[in-house]
Amino acid sequence: MRRLRIISVALLVCIGLVGCGSGEDHKFPNRISPDIGPDGTKTLRKGNGAEPQTLDPAQASGVPAANVLYDMYEGLVTYSRTGDVIPGVAKSWDVSDDGKTYIFHLRHDARWSNGKPVTAQDFVFSLRRAVAPATASPYADIHSPIVNASAITSGKKDPSTLGVTAIDAHTLKIQLHDRTPFFLQTLAHPSSYPVYPPAVKQWGNQFTQPAHAVSDGAYVLKSWQVNNKIVLTRNRYYRDNKDTKIDRVVYSPIGDSNSELSRYQSGALDFTYSAPSSKLEAIHKHIPKQMHAVPGLGLYYFGFNVTRPPFKDNPKLRMALSMALDRRIIVQKILRGGQPPGFSYIPGDMHGYDSVTYPWTNWPDKKREAMARKLYHEAGYSKDHPLKVKLLYPSSESNKQIAIVASAMWRRVLGADVIPWNQEWKVYLSTVHRHIDTTLFFAGWIGDYQDPNTFLSILNSHSGNNEPGWDNAEYDRLQSASEHMPNGPQRTAVMHKAEALILKQNPVVPLWFVTNHHLIKPYVKGFVGNPLDVYLTRYLNIVPAGQKGGGS
Amino acid sequence: MLAYTIKRLLGAIPTLFILLTLSFILVHAAPGSPFSMAREMPPEVKANLEAKYHLDEPIYEQYGRYLLNIAHFDFGPSYQYKDTTVNDLIAEGFPVSLTIGGFALLLALVLGVPLGMLAAVRQNRITDYLCSAIALGGISMPSFVIAPLLILWAAVYNDWLPAGGVDSWQSYILPVITLAAMFTAYILRIMRASTIEVLRSNFVRTARAKGLSTARVYGVHILPAAILPVVSYLGPAAAAILTGSVVIEEIFGMPGIGRFFVNGALNRDYTLVLGITLFYGLIVIAFNLVVDLIYGWLDPRVTY
Repeated sequence: MRRLRIISVALLVCIGLVGCGSGEDHKFPNRISPDIGPDGTKTLRKGNGAEPQTLDPAQASGVPAANVLYDMYEGLVTYSRTGDVIPGVAKSWDVSDDGKTYIFHLRHDARWSNGKPVTAQDFVFSLRRAVAPATASPYADIHSPIVNASAITSGKKDPSTLGVTAIDAHTLKIQLHDRTPFFLQTLAHPSSYPVYPPAVKQWGNQFTQPAHAVSDGAYVLKSWQVNNKIVLTRNRYYRDNKDTKIDRVVYSPIGDSNSELSRYQSGALDFTYSAPSSKLEAIHKHIPKQMHAVPGLGLYYFGFNVTRPPFKDNPKLRMALSMALDRRIIVQKILRGGQPPGFSYIPGDMHGYDSVTYPWTNWPDKKREAMARKLYHEAGYSKDHPLKVKLLYPSSESNKQIAIVASAMWRRVLGADVIPWNQEWKVYLSTVHRHIDTTLFFAGWIGDYQDPNTFLSILNSHSGNNEPGWDNAEYDRLQSASEHMPNGPQRTAVMHKAEALILKQNPVVPLWFVTNHHLIKPYVKGFVGNPLDVYLTRYLNIVPAGQKGGGS
Repeated sequence: MLAYTIKRLLGAIPTLFILLTLSFILVHAAPGSPFSMAREMPPEVKANLEAKYHLDEPIYEQYGRYLLNIAHFDFGPSYQYKDTTVNDLIAEGFPVSLTIGGFALLLALVLGVPLGMLAAVRQNRITDYLCSAIALGGISMPSFVIAPLLILWAAVYNDWLPAGGVDSWQSYILPVITLAAMFTAYILRIMRASTIEVLRSNFVRTARAKGLSTARVYGVHILPAAILPVVSYLGPAAAAILTGSVVIEEIFGMPGIGRFFVNGALNRDYTLVLGITLFYGLIVIAFNLVVDLIYGWLDPRVTY
């Protein structure tokens, strides 16, 4: 007994010693230590989530790779500070009246990082490579508006038949098979960036390695240690080099947002990839000015498998489940990160588009719930005969919370018996794609470009991303029509009709829209939050307190 | 001894073959493909990718191809990190894991062995209880608790050490301490128990009766006998510790081999997982052999 007591006292002392360091909750250390070398070299240190799988623009996918590629490469068009598409290597372009032919006039001062000029032929080479079957680009389909692109990807035509031709070294012609109002947006996507042909020919897959890297953006790859860091340095041949203030960029892959926060607080990071949701309140309290919550182009939703009962041909039941959810509780009490509740299908922050919302968006809770019950009964379910389904979600603590809260809401309002069911990520993906075992699933979609089509196109019955398996002829007609109409009120009206149809039929139930969180040190100037979450380092500057100098 | 070593090395070949075959079946049996993503690729693109990595071939052909490559020590391209090969990833990650693990093992031995002996000599006295408390703490506190506390204390509240990543030798200090904590505790407990047993044995009494100095009794007679259980524990422990701890590498952002292993499994990066499994198998076999050889050298009763 005595021994036990001594051990417990010793243990308490140990815990106490450890506790002393971290027990002071009122303190929130946050070191301000910009990385400026003795020679004035400014380094921006960014957290970057996961390790990019590749730095080949044609093969990359995912945000971490894109972040690095935005700095390394410049396409015909590029992103502005606010995420809008602006001229890049092309200084201007002409579009034919039918919207099918684009003539790009390339800048004469666009240079690769080895000093060679960026030519129209480089773009021909790169776009052919991006759609070629041998490249197996995951984003090959983003080029499908270009003549023959899809046929080339599926191996039916030769890459040389692609509708991209160099008229001369600085004039590029791109032909589309139909008018595509968001075509320029797809050209700003990394998969449209040019690669340096001699490097690709000489090094093959290895052309992305630091020793062989040649790029045409504001920065060039200096070193790459997988899972540790990617270092970029200034491309001194870049056309806007004199206005680029930051000399080096260091990208660190930090998957755990708590570890990332520690590194930010210790002064080793200037710009984070995210912020841990459990710490958002503390961050808000102590460093509100360094916290940037930026609404993004992403939707989280519950999807129904509409190819099988009970959700097949049952829009009333789907609407009842949608109406029974209190989205405001979900975003305010569970997520707590300032996410907008999802009462529409297209994010409210999509530039140049006002989303359609559910007619009952602002109904009082009682009225909304009563209507949900009414529809539930009309669909043939009741207390004695409740709906019994499993709700599939990819394993994670936060997804589990959402699944539990939603099933509790459905149980309370409707009496439905929804059982949360989790699967590991890749297992989940194959289950959902098979359309057999799932009836109800939790999923998300991040837009690839700044146009409603990036959301509308996935529910087309021919889309590989149509997880619910929704097949609605009217919707397909509206969506395809909107893909080829010139921008303007007419196109908006068609897209509104399509969105309203989704909200009426509910193949998916929108839950909330993504909000991206970044912590940025006060000495980093020139940051403007934008829905695409695209931040080119060349627009930023590092100006320590007390020094003059503009970034914006 | 040489004959024994050669025999053991030859015996390792079928072991590795079985390990490889079972792992190959298991990774290919796991649902999901290396190329399935939230954004589904068009079927023709997926087909192109599968053709590029020979995943469209029958499984026995893939297996044959893989064995053939392994025979040339070529672990193949990584499906996940497309610009590099599994050989390069192991070559890059292993030194980091080896450094963390090697120093952690050294620290655990330097602390655990003397403290364990001390606790045994002062059995049931305050020193013993303190050592036991430390051991209990080390075993009970998982590294995902110790690591963030150390980071908070040494990197966030005080500006002593980096909070993560690898920039200099200082980056290794916190991971080494965290990893050493549990192993120190184990070694301390094993050492204490075996020392207590050895202290009661006849040859120690004889040594004392001969009038040998205390230092000689402990250093020459007790230590070699008492350390044997620690040595046999070290074989598997060293293999585990040197091939990387995924928790520590993740929290401290270290580019070690443990992170590749887990990410490889999550991403169904078949070649990466198989390559590291085989590498891990090799290390386990090598360390067990080394431990057995050391055993024979320390314990005169064991001969090969």
